[in-house]
Formats: sequence, structure tokens, C-alpha cells
Amino acid sequence: MSIHPTKRSGGKFVWLLSLAMPLLLVAGCHRDETKVYRIAKDQDQSSQQTAPALPTDAPNPKLPPGHPDISSAPGEPAAASATGAPQLTWKTPAGWIEVPPSQMRVGSFKVAGADGKQADVSIVPLPGMAGTDSANVNRWRGQVGLSVVTDDELQKAAENVEAGGQPAQLYDIAGTNPAGGGAQRILGVIQHRDGMAWFYKMTGDADLVEQQKPAFVEFLKSLNFGAAAPAQVEMPAAIPAASGDMGALLSAAAPAASANKPNWQVPAGWQEVAAGQFLVAKFTLTGDGGATAAVNVSSSPGDGGGLAANVDRWRGQLGLSPSTDSLATPVDIAGGKASLVDFSGTDARTSQPARLVGIVVSLPDQTWFYKLMGDAKVVESQKDAFTQFVKSAKY
Amino acid sequence: MLKALFKFFSSLKLTVACLALGCILVFWGTLAQVHLGLFKAQNEFFRSLLVYWQPAGASFQIPIFPGGYFIGTVLLINLLAAHLRYYQPGKRKIGIALIHLGVVLLLVGQMLTDFLARESALHLRIGETKNYSEADRAYELAVIDTTDKDSAKVVAIPGSVLVRRGGATEPELPFAIRAKTFYANSELADTNTAGFEPVKTTVGAGSNFWWREVPRETAMDRVDLPSAIVEIITPQGSLGTFLVSAMLTQPQPFTFNNRSYELLLRPERFYMPFSLHLIEFHHDKYPGTDIPKNFSSRVRLQNLDNGENREVLIYMNNPLRYQGETFYQASYDPDDGGSILQVVHNPSWLTPYFSCVMVGIGLLWQFLSHLIPFLKRRMAVSGSAGVPAASGAVRGNSGRRDAVAPRKEKKKS
Repeated sequence: MSIHPTKRSGGKFVWLLSLAMPLLLVAGCHRDETKVYRIAKDQDQSSQQTAPALPTDAPNPKLPPGHPDISSAPGEPAAASATGAPQLTWKTPAGWIEVPPSQMRVGSFKVAGADGKQADVSIVPLPGMAGTDSANVNRWRGQVGLSVVTDDELQKAAENVEAGGQPAQLYDIAGTNPAGGGAQRILGVIQHRDGMAWFYKMTGDADLVEQQKPAFVEFLKSLNFGAAAPAQVEMPAAIPAASGDMGALLSAAAPAASANKPNWQVPAGWQEVAAGQFLVAKFTLTGDGGATAAVNVSSSPGDGGGLAANVDRWRGQLGLSPSTDSLATPVDIAGGKASLVDFSGTDARTSQPARLVGIVVSLPDQTWFYKLMGDAKVVESQKDAFTQFVKSAKY
Repeated sequence: MLKALFKFFSSLKLTVACLALGCILVFWGTLAQVHLGLFKAQNEFFRSLLVYWQPAGASFQIPIFPGGYFIGTVLLINLLAAHLRYYQPGKRKIGIALIHLGVVLLLVGQMLTDFLARESALHLRIGETKNYSEADRAYELAVIDTTDKDSAKVVAIPGSVLVRRGGATEPELPFAIRAKTFYANSELADTNTAGFEPVKTTVGAGSNFWWREVPRETAMDRVDLPSAIVEIITPQGSLGTFLVSAMLTQPQPFTFNNRSYELLLRPERFYMPFSLHLIEFHHDKYPGTDIPKNFSSRVRLQNLDNGENREVLIYMNNPLRYQGETFYQASYDPDDGGSILQVVHNPSWLTPYFSCVMVGIGLLWQFLSHLIPFLKRRMAVSGSAGVPAASGAVRGNSGRRDAVAPRKEKKKS
């Protein structure tokens, strides 16, 4: 390569620097900026960042396909986690008293023994691997006045147990209560599952803990993590006000969950079940051969996003594309106007043929959404009853 | 002065120096990952202008080596300056220009990637739907106004802002937030534990906890669990101090001016204008072994804005690219009941491809610009019937060999 120094090198250098400046400016930019946005209330979580679901015996309905993530509101113990953490259930051993979990816990129990002896059982999930196992076990050892031991020693001390169908390590740590001086024992179990570290722990009087150890091991076996189970939601397509750089994130919003249930006449054979937190009511209908359908009722202030948007949303649940035509037929009701839609398709959740009959009731300041959806034959047989049910509602 | 600077920055010696420093930095930074972990080593060695050394027990740091940004920027300026200084316009030099521009694009693209790209994780259990991903390691303090019936207003303050500024005053909030204590990694206990201190807060569920600060995690499979005590300061005075922690499962509620708020320290969230629903996850193994053969996630992508609703199969080396986000099959739950997708947002992801194409074309051009004239001359020489190629008539090694060979033949004959 030949070298030809330029005579106008100074000017070129200025040009060069000006070219490099934007890069330097980019380099100087900080990406750590506060974000402001508005989300549907059910999206905002809150309680499930680290995500363990609280134990529940509630039904385990599914989220409509494409629905934004939802989960329980803070303090509602019977809903699933937005992060998809499985729902945790268990069989409480005899003599254990379940107590409300604290901030860190998803399960908490008290065990009372003779002579006022007590033990405490906790289930604590933490995100990630939450420190090394040895650090956690040594922390427990510190709680009963024992010194730190090496990884090898801990490995030897670990007992293999089963918790919720998967292996876990149990550490039986006996020492003294640093505060009271009495004999104290900890049964600590660590399990890594679903990208989280789960800690099951029984702490208390040494004799009582030893006596309860078999029950504790059985309790671990009884844990059932189930499957991800976001709560059922009926969502009007209203787009709430949004602000900030995340303003565009919303395409749907939750209805008001707090609406009072109207007085209505529930048709014979309908079984009312626990509604998700965003439903006013939910009924299950069973037909011949075990075929099922469900009726969901929800409401929203105002027009709830409008009839067309909600009909399209329902169509989406059956894998149908949005329709530009008006598909609704008017229904006579007292005190307002109502529109009925009826279409068939494939349930996007189950991939089974399904039919949906929906009625949107528009009141002066509120909109109610009634949806009958499920097996086509069941829906056909219940359509009239469904319509009468809607007409019977007194708001 | 400018002339001298230009001469310095266009020096080929500077190029060699930068490359040598770069080699040392890469070697050093790679070794440092053993103790610092990948992320810290990346930040300290490659995503920095200078590499610092902190004497034992000292509170200050001494710069001891140029960092990745410094070397990269100087190399970029050097490349451009050298090109300006040495480049001669002409058809034969187009290849050189393309090669240089390709390398410049590669450097610029990498710098843009470093500043603009974002990686996060989307964890879906089978049957679950989400419209946001979460950062692996970054946390944010979410201040959520839950007063309105239908929606909640979220002001998400990065944890790094709280640490750097000691708090935040946001125009969207009617109060200021002061981080009184912030542990980037911590342990929290709900029983009095040796080595732990009581959490001293005045409001909310904090006073029944004990905590301690622990060293930052460096292992790839573990994350920091930050905790902090924050104070809400209104124009009328303090509302008290609250404990926020990645280990708390419930938010800390409070009210101000008849509005309800919640405080929550959570992994930083990145919302998307569409959602993904995990239909099924497959973890295929080779028959009779536990050796993984394939991981795949069948998801339903639904965009309510444009009505898009379709199934997508994401598997190794077959990511979903949609609206600027790329979803890679990254991991899975041990029980095979869930999938973890790595979500990469990288506006400049195409620059390496363009730069490689440019460099490739440049190399090809440069090669052909020599090869073609050579072949022409060779053909011209071989066209001279019976006349051995004279020494020096054809340049290049082949030519020289050709020039020698006939002589040998001549001797043999």
C-alpha cells in the first residue's frame, strides 16, 4: 500500500471527529430510564414477581388464547401466578394448623406438641438459585447455634427425599436455640425446580420436630405443583388510557371485577362454580356423554370497548378472524338493549370444535357480557335457557 | 496541532497497538471471568472505557488499562483516519474501500448492539400466556397506582437509578422515593437468624424480617436477590420507610391523597404489544438415552392490534422474529412443563451480516482485480507460440516457476 499523506489532514480530522461524535453520544446515553405505563389491572403484578402460586382448591380455568398475562391481585390467595409458577396444593398432616402465610411464604403451619412445645413449618420459594445450598444450610445451622461446615460434610449429611414428585435434599440439623437455650431442631429441605429454589422447613422444639419428621416427609410427598393455571378472564376490548413510552402495550383491559351480581334465575342443571377474580359469575353445563359448556358473566363500566371489538375478541377465541359485518341480532331485555352473536369454530385452547353464544347487554353506564361456550350440542340445547337467563337478570 | 493529531490517529502503528491491546484485554478479561463471572467481567473489561484496579481496603479505583470501549473507539477512529490518509480513489482500490467500510460497519454495529440491544427471558408454563419478558438480572422498583378500577399506572424505576441517585423524583409521582439502604444481593429471613440484622422499617411488613447483605452472584446459574428500605417523601412529609425485596411475594401497599399505591421490587419487565401462549413443549431425547435431541416450543402468537393469530414452532436455531424481537429456545423447566425463551431486542442485528458481505465483496474484488490482469498477461504470454516465457515477463510466483521450468526442459533437451 502506498502512502500519500494529505495536505488537508487537519480538516479531515475535524470531519472524522464529527463522525465519531454521534457514536460517543450513543455511548454516553444511559439506558436506565424510568418507565411509565398503564396496564390492565390484572396484568399488573405485583404479588407474583417471584411467583409462587398460593395453594388453592379452586378450579383451574384457562386463559383465553392471546390474552395478556394475568394473575391474582395482591392478597387473593386463590388465584394462580402470572409467572406461570405451578399451583401448589398439599395434604395437611394431622395436628398441623395452617396459618396465613407471611410475605415470604406460600405455605405456613404451626404444629403444637405436648407441654407447649411448638414447631413452625414454612414453604418459601425464591427466584433463581437463591444462593448456594451450602450457604443456605449453614445459615440454618447458625439459627441453632452450629458452626459452618464444608460442602463435603453437607453433602454427606443430605438425605434424599421427594417433594412434589421430584427429588430434594433434606438436612436434619439439631442444636440449641440461641435465644432460649433449649434444644432446637431444623428439618430443612432444598429443591430446585421451575427455575426457582424452594425451601421447605420445619423448625421447633427438638423432640417435637423429631417426632414430626415422618409427617413432614409425607407432607413433602403430598405437595402437588399442578400446572400453570391463570385465572379465567372475560375481557372487554376497551383500551384504557395509556401514558409514557409503554402506552401502546395495551390492547385489552380487564373489566371491573367488583360489579355486584344481578338478581337472575339460574336455569336448572347449571352448576355455579367459583368465578375467577375478573368474572362476576361462572356456571358449568354438562350434556350427554360428558360434553360440557360454560357460561361466563362479566361486566365493565361504560361500553367496555364496544360491541364490535368484543365480538371480534370472542371470534378470536374460536379461531375466527374479525368480522367487518355486523353479526349481532338484537335481544329484548328490560332497562337496556342487548345484542346476541352466535358462531362456531375451533376452541383455540382445546383445538376442539366449539360454539359460542354471546350476549352483550348495554346499560346506561355499564356493559354486561354473557358468554355461553363449549360443545356445540350442549350450547344448542342450552341456548334458549341461556337467553332466558340473561333476560331474567335484574341489575 | 490537528495535523499532528491526524497523523497520530491515522498511524498504522496505532492500529497494531490497538490490536495488541485488544488481544491482551480479551485474554485478561477471559481469565477474569473465573472470579468475576461472565457479566461482571464483561462490564469491567469490555463494556468500559478503562479497566480499574481497587487496592485492597481502598475506597478508590485506579485506571490501569484501556477498556473495550476505549480500544474499539480508537480503533474505529484509526481505521477511518488511515483510510482518509492512505486511500487513493480508483477502480483497483474499491475492494480496499469496501473491506475498510465493512470493518467500520462491524465495529459501529457492535457498539450499537452493545448500547441498544436488550436481552430478557420469557418463562412460560404450558397453557400460559404472557405479553412481557423479564430481565435476567436487572431489577426495578415498581410503584403501582392501583386506585383506578380498570387499570393501574406503573412507574418502574430501575434499581440502578435508586443506587446511583439514592432515590428518585419522578414527575409522574406525587412523592419522592429515597433509597435509605439498598443491598444489591441479600438474604432475608422471617426468623431471627445469626448474622442477620433486624429490618428497621416504620410501615408495612418489614419489621418482622431480618436481613443481611451478601456478595454479588457471579455464577451464571444464580441471580442476585436485592432488598432495600425505601422512604416515601411527600410534600407534607415522610410516609415512612418500607422494605422491598425480590424475596417478598406480596407488594407493600400505602395510600396518599386518597390514592392507593403499591411498592414492589421485581425483575425489570419489558412489555410487548402482542402475546405468546405456550401450547406445548417438547424435550426430545435420543432413544434409550438421556441425551437431548431437540427442544421445541409450540406457541400461539396473538396480536390484538392487527388481528394476527397464528401458531409458531420455536426450536433450536429456529427462533421467532417478530416486531423487532427475536425469541430463541433457551431453556426449559426440569419437569418439562415449561419453556424459557430468550428474548433479544437488537435493532442493529443486521449490521454483522452487511459488514461480512461488504468485506467479502471487497476481498473478492481485490482478489479478482489482481487475478484477472494476471490471467490476461498469462494468456498473452502463452499465446506467444513456442517462445518460452522470459524471466520477469510474468510477475508472480507462478510466473516465475513457469519462467524457470522451460529452462530446465531446455537443459534436458
